[in-house]
Amino acid sequence: MLKVENLSCGYRGRKVVQDISFTLSEGQKLAILGPNGCGKTTLLRGLMGILPSEGGLELEGRDLRAMTVRERSRVMAMLTQMTFASFSYSVMETVLMGRYPHMGGGFFPRPNAKDRQAAEEQLKKMELWEEREKAVTELSGGQLQRVMLARTFTQSPKIILLDEPTNHLDLKFQVELVEALDQWVREPGRAAVGVFHDLDLALSFADTALLMDKGRAVYMGKADELDIAELSRVFGIDVPGYMRASRLRWEGLER
Amino acid sequence: MRKAMGGAALLTVLAIMSVVLGIGVGSVYLSPKEIAAALAGRGDEGVRALILGLRLPRVVLAFLTGAALAVGGTVMQSSLENPLASPYGLGVSAGAGLGATLVMVTGIAGGAAGMICLPVAGFAGGLGAVLLALALAKTFDARLSSITVVLTGMVISLFFSAFMDLMAAMSPEYAQRISLWQMGSFAAKGWRGAAVLGPVFCICLCLFLGRSSMLDVMTFGDEQAQVMGVDTQKSKWGCILLVAVLTGTAVAFSGIIGFVDLVAPHIARRLFGAGHRRALPGAAVLGGSFMVLCDLAARTVASPREIPVGAVTALLGAPFFLYVFFRKRRQ
Repeated sequence: MLKVENLSCGYRGRKVVQDISFTLSEGQKLAILGPNGCGKTTLLRGLMGILPSEGGLELEGRDLRAMTVRERSRVMAMLTQMTFASFSYSVMETVLMGRYPHMGGGFFPRPNAKDRQAAEEQLKKMELWEEREKAVTELSGGQLQRVMLARTFTQSPKIILLDEPTNHLDLKFQVELVEALDQWVREPGRAAVGVFHDLDLALSFADTALLMDKGRAVYMGKADELDIAELSRVFGIDVPGYMRASRLRWEGLER
Repeated sequence: MRKAMGGAALLTVLAIMSVVLGIGVGSVYLSPKEIAAALAGRGDEGVRALILGLRLPRVVLAFLTGAALAVGGTVMQSSLENPLASPYGLGVSAGAGLGATLVMVTGIAGGAAGMICLPVAGFAGGLGAVLLALALAKTFDARLSSITVVLTGMVISLFFSAFMDLMAAMSPEYAQRISLWQMGSFAAKGWRGAAVLGPVFCICLCLFLGRSSMLDVMTFGDEQAQVMGVDTQKSKWGCILLVAVLTGTAVAFSGIIGFVDLVAPHIARRLFGAGHRRALPGAAVLGGSFMVLCDLAARTVASPREIPVGAVTALLGAPFFLYVFFRKRRQ
């Protein structure tokens, strides 16, 4: 589906991400891992077309950069890190905005019954139906994150890019998000790419992993074959040791 | 929906009441019955002349100016994702004022050429000011945060106002006119201002309403808007250009009037919700009614002397600005 070849992108002429290559097939879930500042979010912005990029970037054989912004948003959506809303749209109105790229570009585009149905479906899935009339300015960080997730799904793209999707979410919704993504990707013609800080969550989400260090890929392959030594080197800690200690703490609590 | 219907009913009553009061109250009191008769072409000839020649054009220009500034404010806030942004606060009004002052001191403002020159100079000045303010703000703060935008706009406003003062000092024959005009007034403008501003306002409002879904998406910021399919580069600058046309034209005829562009959008969003399909017409009616009532106060409170209408809007608008600013900071 998605073919990325020697992709480089950055800010004001400075390349933050360099020579990233991978392919994403139907049903695949890719986790981008790496320490702070290694270029994970920049890579997502480059893929989404928010940042200009160099190198190959094709979706089903078509250069994503040759598409208009609207065309691109019909096939690719991105959940960005958002902590507050400035204007008091209702939850329903906000989720319905996900249908904007499908509404046509003329004057007075309005959501139709199909658009409303798609938004309602996602609101129910995210357990936001009861809050649909509430203003987004009145929501907690976690609720707002769920609204944004519902909006991203409502956009009905082929590929979803997720930048720290579990931010502000409590444990229940973190687990449910991973399950919802798993289910979403099972539909034909879909794939997902996610940036996660939580390694455990990343590995429970993904079947493929891209490990980044200083803007470059140091591992790209199956998530369950991740090079642990490389992972420890990139994060600067003994990852297996940390995981073991964490497991022991839980075992202690269970006893 | 019920809230929006209630709000629409309230605004309709407010608009009718403000227009009737604006026409009826003055040195000579005119009853609603006399106003209706004059508008229908009946009744006393002197009353008809007073209404159609003096009071009605003033009320229409005030309403259109208030509506234009309110719509400009609503769009500016959305396209900059900043509830504190306004054409006045970003220096559009001061820039437009400087452009119009330049036309005034050349002496062509009064003639037929002034009908074209005033709005064109107002638009050019307004656009120049907002571009300068945003470019400066972006130099200091790439994220264009509320505080940077508001402070930079204030600096540009003061800078352009200082230029106007300088021109007034250097052209004593126009000094009084420029000074009065800096505080805004609808006195003795006739139908000329309304004839130009009316079509400009209608075209701009239709263009903004046609793109109301896009404006809704833009309130979530550049990145989110791009993800949802808005070409933010084109759309943002298109909006700023249209706001400069609208505000520049309004300011060119009535002078600098602040705070309407901040107050009306906030109240409209409270009454009708944040969606632009309802907030834009709401802000227009609210801004127009507010301006007519402020003008009424300006010409009656200290009668027979007239207070500049900009002073009245500032007296009411400044505390409101503080309220919004501190409420936002608390959030």
